[in-house]
Order: sequence, then structure tokens, then C-alpha cells
Amino acid sequence: MPLSREDIEEIRRILGREPTREELAMFEAQWSEHCSYRSSRRLLKLLPEEGSRTRVLVGRGRDAPAIELFPGVAIVFKIESHNHPSAVDPYNGAATGIGGIVRDVLTLGAKPIALLDMLYLGDPRNPHANWIARGVVKGISDYGNRIGVPTVAGDTWFDPAFNKQPLVNVACVGIVDTKTLASVLRGPREGDLVLIAGNPTGRDGLLGSSFASKPLEDSDSDIAAVQVGDPLMEKLLIDAVTEIARRGLAKLIKDLGGGGLTTAISEVAADHNLGVELHLDALHTRQELTPLEILVSESQERMLLVVDESSLPEVEKILRRYEVPYSIIGRFDGSGRIRAFFKGRLVADVPARELAKPRTLYREARPPIEALKGIAPPPPVREPEDLAKAALKVLSSPNIASKRWIYEQYDHEVGIRTVLKPGYGDAAVLRLLDGSGRGLAVKGDANPRYTSLNPFSGAANSVAECFRNLVATGAQPLAIVDEINAGNPEKPHHYWFFDQMVKGVAWMASELDLPVVGGKVSFYNEDASGRQVKPTATIVGVGRIDNVERALPACFSQPRNLIAIVGVTYPELGGSEYLYAVHGIEAGEVPRPRPASELRAASLVLDLASRGAIASAHDIGSGGLATAILEACVCSGLGASVDLDMVPSRGIERLDQLLFSETQARYIIEVPREALPTLERLARERGARVAVIGEVRDSGEVELRSGGKRIASIGLEEAREAYESSLPRALEW
Amino acid sequence: MITSKKGVRDPEGEAIHRQLVLKKGYDRVKGVRAGKYLLFLVDEEDPQRALSYVRELCEKLRIYNPVVHDIEVRIHS
Repeated sequence: MPLSREDIEEIRRILGREPTREELAMFEAQWSEHCSYRSSRRLLKLLPEEGSRTRVLVGRGRDAPAIELFPGVAIVFKIESHNHPSAVDPYNGAATGIGGIVRDVLTLGAKPIALLDMLYLGDPRNPHANWIARGVVKGISDYGNRIGVPTVAGDTWFDPAFNKQPLVNVACVGIVDTKTLASVLRGPREGDLVLIAGNPTGRDGLLGSSFASKPLEDSDSDIAAVQVGDPLMEKLLIDAVTEIARRGLAKLIKDLGGGGLTTAISEVAADHNLGVELHLDALHTRQELTPLEILVSESQERMLLVVDESSLPEVEKILRRYEVPYSIIGRFDGSGRIRAFFKGRLVADVPARELAKPRTLYREARPPIEALKGIAPPPPVREPEDLAKAALKVLSSPNIASKRWIYEQYDHEVGIRTVLKPGYGDAAVLRLLDGSGRGLAVKGDANPRYTSLNPFSGAANSVAECFRNLVATGAQPLAIVDEINAGNPEKPHHYWFFDQMVKGVAWMASELDLPVVGGKVSFYNEDASGRQVKPTATIVGVGRIDNVERALPACFSQPRNLIAIVGVTYPELGGSEYLYAVHGIEAGEVPRPRPASELRAASLVLDLASRGAIASAHDIGSGGLATAILEACVCSGLGASVDLDMVPSRGIERLDQLLFSETQARYIIEVPREALPTLERLARERGARVAVIGEVRDSGEVELRSGGKRIASIGLEEAREAYESSLPRALEW
Repeated sequence: MITSKKGVRDPEGEAIHRQLVLKKGYDRVKGVRAGKYLLFLVDEEDPQRALSYVRELCEKLRIYNPVVHDIEVRIHS
């Protein structure tokens, strides 16, 4: 987004003179939406920063937040989007997204242990969207595998709205001891050195953030913003930087990401009330660069380290040992100004704080006419005669079907931390590797259809689904980060979706007592004709697990065990996968967010899990009850018999409503027969509705009963075929 | 032959240049670009038509990304 006339006036006022070209470029980079949150800052203040269950060690505003997982052990995690780069160059766009998010986690001295990718892709049968999907998955897989960090979980969605502009949201989880964390939080003092380590700076990625802050254009002119990932350098940076941090040699670490050197240095100086004197010609570069290019280049795999004079020799030794190129380009001072010299000439002299924090932009939010689609009950549809066929159709929808095609391209086991692998649990479960059996669960979720129909409830439901996915593994949810992908903030009809999504996340997070410790905003997700993609709120959550041996799978485990449902089912088919996959309708009120029921259901599941009274648990989400049962059967190879009349419900008139409603706050749990009294007692104590609805069988089929009759039967082989082969078939043609 | 466009970085080529070529003393090499080489056997009499046929398929099937790659199509034999 180029600077507006008002911005330039403001810059003149700040400087008291005409800005130089270099200064203008610095302001353009830093004042872009991507770096400075000008259009979003006001709303983001609504997000809760604290929760009563969670010790937040580093909150919002840094490159990444940190929370305490166990005493002395912190988890660092962050989400980021690489939507625009991935639309232009899917392979490199997605790969550099991984690089960036890993470096964010490194800034707190943490060792990256897991990646997540939340991909919202176009119709796999559309050639262009198919090409994007393949490139994105390959880019993530190549980069992640080469730096040795497993991709353990994620979320995938296919929708023609993303044919031209996909949403590529990636998250990284890192682990760090609190002593190391404290050492990189010390911050700079006057006289400390600015050290840049990593790839030599080049002309690639000039003003990339500014590029991400405007709509895509249909041309080759965006070439300068294309960056190529270098996982080999990233791996060296990971090793070198974690060693420097662990030995307490860095007082602050920062990623050179969006906005390049300008953003990194102005934020550090402004946050610490300092100034800095930079000598741009001291920086190691790949080619001859002008001072302007050095200031705003977004070359990948570069980091800023703040080091004091006495630690410098040790830091240099480590960087040399790992063959990481570096240069010392300046020194902090008390001036409060960023003064950049190039070959002895002063090329920029700007106050750090004014550069780092541009004035907030007030944006108008107005609901578009199409938002009416999401506030009326869904149009009536005919109940399918063959419910088994309908269930299989929903199961084989690319949004539901197994994502094996994607995650098998990733190494999800490197580092031997992974306890619950993709496809076996509602969230990924990782162990700490300290011999204690302690661990964590992590998952990312969104539902673009919900948020496009009702951005407030849809975003709230994303938070709730992430919460349930963590709980279903037996983890205590601790905190979330959010990525809000929206359209053009200058258009009130787009901005309204953003406004509502933030409010939905803020509300549900407060209700569930989950702090939103960090996040990111991506605007301008529209195609060349100005149509916004489906606005999407992506949530990544982390939970604590005291004993990973007790982590719950989502697959049934034992014949004769009882199947119970937690929660009450309402006729909530609006925005459901069933209406879309079977009836081709995308409309209607989305399921109500139900925070109070969520808390009751979660406390029951967690209590049962801690007593070893459940064998598996699965969140009921997209595709409803029928899908949840089929998934739990397919991944275990076991069958089930379920009596639908036993399902606690209200207002349900037809079996398709019961089977496919996406009412929130529900789980399928598998309970050993001897644990039934415990289940009944705890459900009473917790005030949660639970009912036994059937049993696990070694029968090779899923039998559905109602009115004392068998109303449908789905063979396991047929279900497996639908679940496993639909996505490869949609993508490989 | 598919290579990254001139302004686009090529970490693989750079690594080969730095870690292999220069380290072994071949310092007159000023740069290495890595790419992909595909040999198409085309049933076609006219060389020009074969060239445009392959060029078209590379573009249509997204064998390369026109935004970041250059391709060179020529007759091998």
C-alpha cells in the first residue's frame, strides 16, 4: 500500500522537513498494514491477553509470545500468513512462510519442534487452483523437511473462492527453558551492538510487505516481491541462534521479516526508548545495493541480534563455526532516532517511535447485503431417502475426507516427539523428551464457510473447535494465537467481516478463559476483480498434557466398549458440510457458539481422561455426528452400532438433522463398560448431558438404528474408500 | 531448461558455487545457476512446430511458473 497524501504530510510534520527517498521508503515499509496493523490495532485490543489457567510469559507485541507449559518450561508459538506470495509463486511463497514463522519462534531462543499448516485452497478440479495446492504443499514439505522440523497438524479446506488467492496460514511451536527466555528478554542498552546474521541481503523481496498490503494484480510486475527460501541457511540459523541464546549471549533477537531492516530496527529502538546509528555499507550483501534497497529489502533467512561488546567474541565464534555470515552494522544510543549512514553520508534520520507506530486508521464497517444469507434459517431441503449414501457423500467431501495426501508429504516424525500422529488424534500430541512423560497438544482450525456466513459466530466457533480438539486428546487448553484473513480494509463491506471476526474470537476466547497471546492480520485477500475470498479466522491452540501415555486418540480402540455422546444436538444445519455436499447449499444461520456448554463438556472429558475412564474421544465438528462416528471407525478398522433415539436432542424433527447437525460443544467418547458408573456420576457432578448411544463392534460396518429398526448400514470398506481416496482423486487427475 | 529468472535467488546454485566449486579452488567460476532439464521426445517432422508444441505444454501444464522461471526450449537432436 503506497503512502497516502495524509501520510506524507504527517512524515513532513514528524521530520520538520522534506523526507529523503530512503526515509520515504522506510515509512512506506513500516507503515504498511502488514507491519504496523494500522487498520486493525484498535479492534485487536479487544482480544483477552490473560487467562486464569495460563501464565503468559511474553504477551502480544513481540515477534512471538511465550507461555509457561510446566514450571521452568516455556512454549513459544506463533501463526503467520503467506497468502499473497503463495498466490504468485505457490512453492516459494509457502516455503518462505515456514521460514518466517520458524524465525519468529527463534527470537525467544526457543528450539522449533513442530509446524502446523492451515491451508484454504481452491477447487482441486480447477487447474490453476490445483497447481497452487500442489505447489503450496510441496513448498511446505521441502522446506520443513530440510530444516528438520516436523509438520504435525493443520487444517485444510477447499472452496472455489480460493481458486486465485489461497490462504496459507502456518504456525510454529518452539520450546525453551525460562532461563534462556529471560536472557533474550533483557533488551538493548546504550552502546550495545546491532548484528545481522544469515543470508547476504539482496534485491529480492523489495517492499514485500507493502506488496502484501494491496490487492493482487494480474501481471508479472510483482516479480521483485518473490522470494526464494533457503532452508539450508535456515537450519544453520536455527542451530547457531539457539546456541547463542542458550549460552546467554544475546540480549534480544529479532527476525528480519516484513519491512526488513527498517521494521526490525525501528521496533526494537522504539520498544526500548533508544536510538541507533547504522552503517549500511557494513552489511554483507549479495550484490551492489543502494542504501534504500538495504533498508527495505526483505531477503529471507536473516536475523538481528543485540549483543554487548563483551559477548561479541563468543557470538562471532559460534556464527563462524556454523558458517553463518554476519556483520555488525551499528550501535544503540540514547538519541531516540534512527540514523542511517552509507559510506559516511547520512541518508536517513528519523525518530524511532514515530516510525514504528503510525497513527491508527479508522475504517468504516458495513455489512453487505450478502450477509443476510447467514442470518436466516437455511432453506428447506428434502430428506435423502438413503441416509447411508448421504453420510458417505459427506465423508468423501474434500473438506472432511482424509488429508493423508497432504500430510504424507511431510515428515511428521522427525525429532521423535510426536505421540499422536496426523489422522489419529483430534490434535497432535508431542512429548517433551525430558524423560518425564509430560507433553503438549497443538491444533489449528478454521471454517471459511462459517465465517463467510456469519463472521462473529464463525470465528467464535473456530476458537471453540480448537478448544475441543485439544480437550479431545486429554489436554488442558492454555492459550491460542489467531490469524484473521480478510479482504480490503478500505472497503466497508469487506472490513465488516474483519470487525466481526475479531469480536467473535475475542468473545469466545474470554468466555473459555483462553488468552489470545499473539496473532497476525492479513488484509487485501481479494482477487484482481476485487472480490474478497471467504474471510477466515484461523486459530491455533496449545494445551498441556501431564502424561502423554494417556493422550486420547480419536479412533475407537476396543470392541464392546460403549459409545457415548457428550452434549445436546439442535437442528443446526446452516452452513453445514451436509447442506453443501449433499444439497449444494451454502446458506443459513451457522451453529450457535455455546461457551457454557463447551466448558461443562470439556471439564467432563478432561476429568474422565485423567481417571483413565475413556478410551478415545473425538470432537463432533464438520459433518456432524454421522461423520464423527464414521471417522472413529475408519481410522481404527472397528465397526459400531448406534441407536439414534438415544442421542439427547432438542427440536430435531428428522434424522438428517440429527446425523448432520453441526451443533457445537459435543464429543463422541468411547467408554469401557466398567467405567459407566464413573461416567454417570461425573456427568451429574459436572452438569454435562451425556448419553450412551451404542457400542464399538468388530463387525465391519456402522449400523444406525432408530425406532427399534435398522435404518442404515455403512460397510467399513466402503467408508474407508470414501474417506481415504476422495482427496487424492480430486487432486490427481 | 528451466531456471529461475535473473532477479530471483537460487539457493541451490549458490550452495553448489560456494560449497563445491569455490572450495575446491575453481575460483574463475563467477556464478552457478541450478535448474531443471527435461528431454521431450516429440512425434513431429517440423522442428519449429515441435518447439512451439513443447513450449505450449510447459506453459499450459505449469511445468514451470512463468512468474519466477525462464525456460529455454531447443532441439536436442
